[in-house]
Amino acid sequence: MLSALLLIPLAGALMLVCWPAKITSEQARKFSIACLVINLLVSLYLLSQFDLAVTGLQFQESIPWLEDLGLGYELGIDGLSLPLLIINSLLSLVSVYASDADIRRPRLYYFLLLTITFAVAGAFVSQNLLLFFIFYELELIPLYLLIAIWGGPQRGYAATKFLIYTAISGILILASFLGLVWLSGSPSFDYSPTMAHGLPWIQQSVLLAALLIGFGIKIPLFPLHTWLPDAHVQASTPVSVLLAGVLLKLGTYGLFRFGVCTFSEVWVDLAPYLAWWAVASVLYGSLAAIAQTDMKKMVAYSSVGHMGYVLLAASASNPLSFVGTVFQMVSHGFISALLFLVVGVVYKKTGTRDLTVLSGLLNPERGLPLMGSVMVLAVMASAGIPGMVGFISEFIVYRGSFVSFAPQTLLCLLGSGLTAVYFLLLVNRAFFGRLTVTDKQATAQDVVLPVVTWQDRIPALALVGLLFVFGLSPSWMTRWIEPTTTAMYEAMPIKLELSSAHLATPLVNTSIDLAICSDGDCAL
Amino acid sequence: MTQTMSAQLNNIHPFAQYADRLLAGKTLLPDTPDNVLEVMGALDSYGIVLDRYSKNLIHIADHQFLVLFPVFKYFDGTINPAKMWQHFCHDRINYEYAEYTMKAMMWHGGGGLDAYLDTDEFRQNCERAIAAKIKFNPVLQLFHRTFPEFLIEQIRQLSYYSGLGQFWRVMSDIFTSLADRYRRGEIKHIPQIVDHIKNGLVADAARPITYGVEIGGKTYDILPASAGLTFLPDTAIPYVESIFFRGTPFLGTVSYNAQAQQISPDKSRFTYGALYADPMPIGGSGIPPTLLMQDMFRHLPDYLETYYLDSVRGLGDVRVKICASFQRSMFCVTNAALLGLLPKGADATAPEDIAANREFLLGWMDRLASSQLEQVQI
Repeated sequence: MLSALLLIPLAGALMLVCWPAKITSEQARKFSIACLVINLLVSLYLLSQFDLAVTGLQFQESIPWLEDLGLGYELGIDGLSLPLLIINSLLSLVSVYASDADIRRPRLYYFLLLTITFAVAGAFVSQNLLLFFIFYELELIPLYLLIAIWGGPQRGYAATKFLIYTAISGILILASFLGLVWLSGSPSFDYSPTMAHGLPWIQQSVLLAALLIGFGIKIPLFPLHTWLPDAHVQASTPVSVLLAGVLLKLGTYGLFRFGVCTFSEVWVDLAPYLAWWAVASVLYGSLAAIAQTDMKKMVAYSSVGHMGYVLLAASASNPLSFVGTVFQMVSHGFISALLFLVVGVVYKKTGTRDLTVLSGLLNPERGLPLMGSVMVLAVMASAGIPGMVGFISEFIVYRGSFVSFAPQTLLCLLGSGLTAVYFLLLVNRAFFGRLTVTDKQATAQDVVLPVVTWQDRIPALALVGLLFVFGLSPSWMTRWIEPTTTAMYEAMPIKLELSSAHLATPLVNTSIDLAICSDGDCAL
Repeated sequence: MTQTMSAQLNNIHPFAQYADRLLAGKTLLPDTPDNVLEVMGALDSYGIVLDRYSKNLIHIADHQFLVLFPVFKYFDGTINPAKMWQHFCHDRINYEYAEYTMKAMMWHGGGGLDAYLDTDEFRQNCERAIAAKIKFNPVLQLFHRTFPEFLIEQIRQLSYYSGLGQFWRVMSDIFTSLADRYRRGEIKHIPQIVDHIKNGLVADAARPITYGVEIGGKTYDILPASAGLTFLPDTAIPYVESIFFRGTPFLGTVSYNAQAQQISPDKSRFTYGALYADPMPIGGSGIPPTLLMQDMFRHLPDYLETYYLDSVRGLGDVRVKICASFQRSMFCVTNAALLGLLPKGADATAPEDIAANREFLLGWMDRLASSQLEQVQI
């Protein structure tokens, strides 16, 4: 079943490039949409068949491949990868649907998009470290090309920067995986959460550090983030949607699955410092976003900030914060995809993303009133307004992390406040006031923007619906996540459930499995 | 010395070119085929809408006299389920706009009508009509004794209903006849439009403005013919002043901070009228002028609709487009009014007469400096 999720986009991609007759851009788009609709339906079928009572891997597939190398075709999903898999299917469809009908070199373009869908799905379902790495690397090349060919004026620079950063990320991850397998004496790269158990602390910490930096680049965490704003600004809208909505999640997913679970002993020791790192990322991302005048850059820095919450929740290492980790990934996937979609529509219709120029886009007659309203909803969700998915994810993150790291949580809460600041700046500048899209007053008198089509509106409205669905009924999401994350927590040999006031107590040498929470506030 | 300075200032007046253009027989609005089409289309539909507004205003003044809860005032006397259903479905003219205009005119005042409403003669007229109206209504009698100014103020407002209704009757006829001439192919240029309007204004300048109500089979004069109120000085000029120039700041288009005196406490310095309005927010924000644009859209001639359909958003931003076209047409009306009011007449040839006319026009150009006059040149 999982193979179907890989084969559908892969087969679609191959059929596109091998199709003998000439194929127009619209035909290629429709074909890709058909593939991805089937892909999404299969994902949803998988969801319906997922057994909530089973906390381990489900739908496992195992086919020997290159046994000498330790590479096996090992697939499986659990409550951690399932939501991300669904998001991948959904946002891939959204990004293809939102692509221009008359895009240049359509065969290559849609081939690359489908290849990314294939690679990302592969990474989420891989249960072999080497297989994960192959899929992780496989997604880089299409993304590089998508930015380098269909990007903005500085696309060469941005694509190369992206490639260099993520290639380094890949090298570090590969090094960590190789080290883990060799040091643990495992006969293959088949993944097991207990692989690192028994390794000396220093070895585990080195391997975890490599993973932290490797996945930290991908997430991205401050100060490893500098490729992201450039990549987003130069990438086209569909690519930005995929990049923010899905590809960044590879980093958090990898860190959570391979970092937290595998190196949990070291993770618990480093947790306070990682929480501070999360604070730095959140505050830096938020403050940098305030300073931006390019809408897309602002949303990109917002991503840096919001991905910091994932690290905060993961470092807090308790059952609730683990749920928050996954929920925040999903929530950020929806919200950031929606934000980039709307920014893309604004750019397409006005020709600019400059907040010093744009104004009054909510104008009911000549502006983009519906997309403006969607933007207001998206920024509300991002700022954590109750009733929407952003509130639930941030609340779970903070509720989970506060008992472990109160000061860090409070500082990250400040980041949530700053989200409201920069997004209100964005909405106020670009959407309120008199409609203007240029700084030349003479032409500004007669601004008539092209009409927004339903092709632009439908994916945005669908995502808005999801913001409310999971915002009003979060249990529809947590029911898939919680059994797995709880089991992951239970499997950790050492638990961290201390308030920050007691962090000075070294946990690494403790002989007990469960550090008792001193303030009694750990009943999560 | 003073004269020299004045002459110098006149020469460097940034809007002197428009005064000179008027004196040379040209118009404030450039004479282009697009402008002719837009102005004629706007005035065509505006003429029809004004006809409905005018009839309703006069109906309210005549037949809803001192009806404190005039629930059916927009029905023009025909009340049946079909019309009520139309009304509730909003398949109707926005008579609220006419009332809004009436209130703006009443608030700004000016002219003989405003002055007459404060005379003792008017008060006596009112008392007679009130006495007749409430003869069999003890509740209202008690109310009138307790609040003696209330019903009189209501009648002042009803006088404005009637006054504006009569003014718009004339304007509607002018615009309708202009639209007929355009359809017959007689109107090709903006100066012809201005000329037609000017002739209409001049022809009806001395038309008396009167108002009387029939109560119990007897007519009670509120604005008698003996008051000497006439069309041009007592309704047209106050109307132009109140609606074209001053207007009122509309909530929802600009954030005005009244405490910071962003709205002048001196209403004579208001510049929120039709000639100053920014069509972009005014046309589509749901404020009173938007109601007019909705009404005009209902009666938009085909040629103007076709013209709008050719633009980027088609009919998607039609109210903004109508607002912009309407504004252009109002510059033609203003142009006609200015020509009609020239102290030495539009045909003056003597240099001192032309100078006097120019001086007069420059005074108006001061007021038009912050209007949309520059924008409609594009």
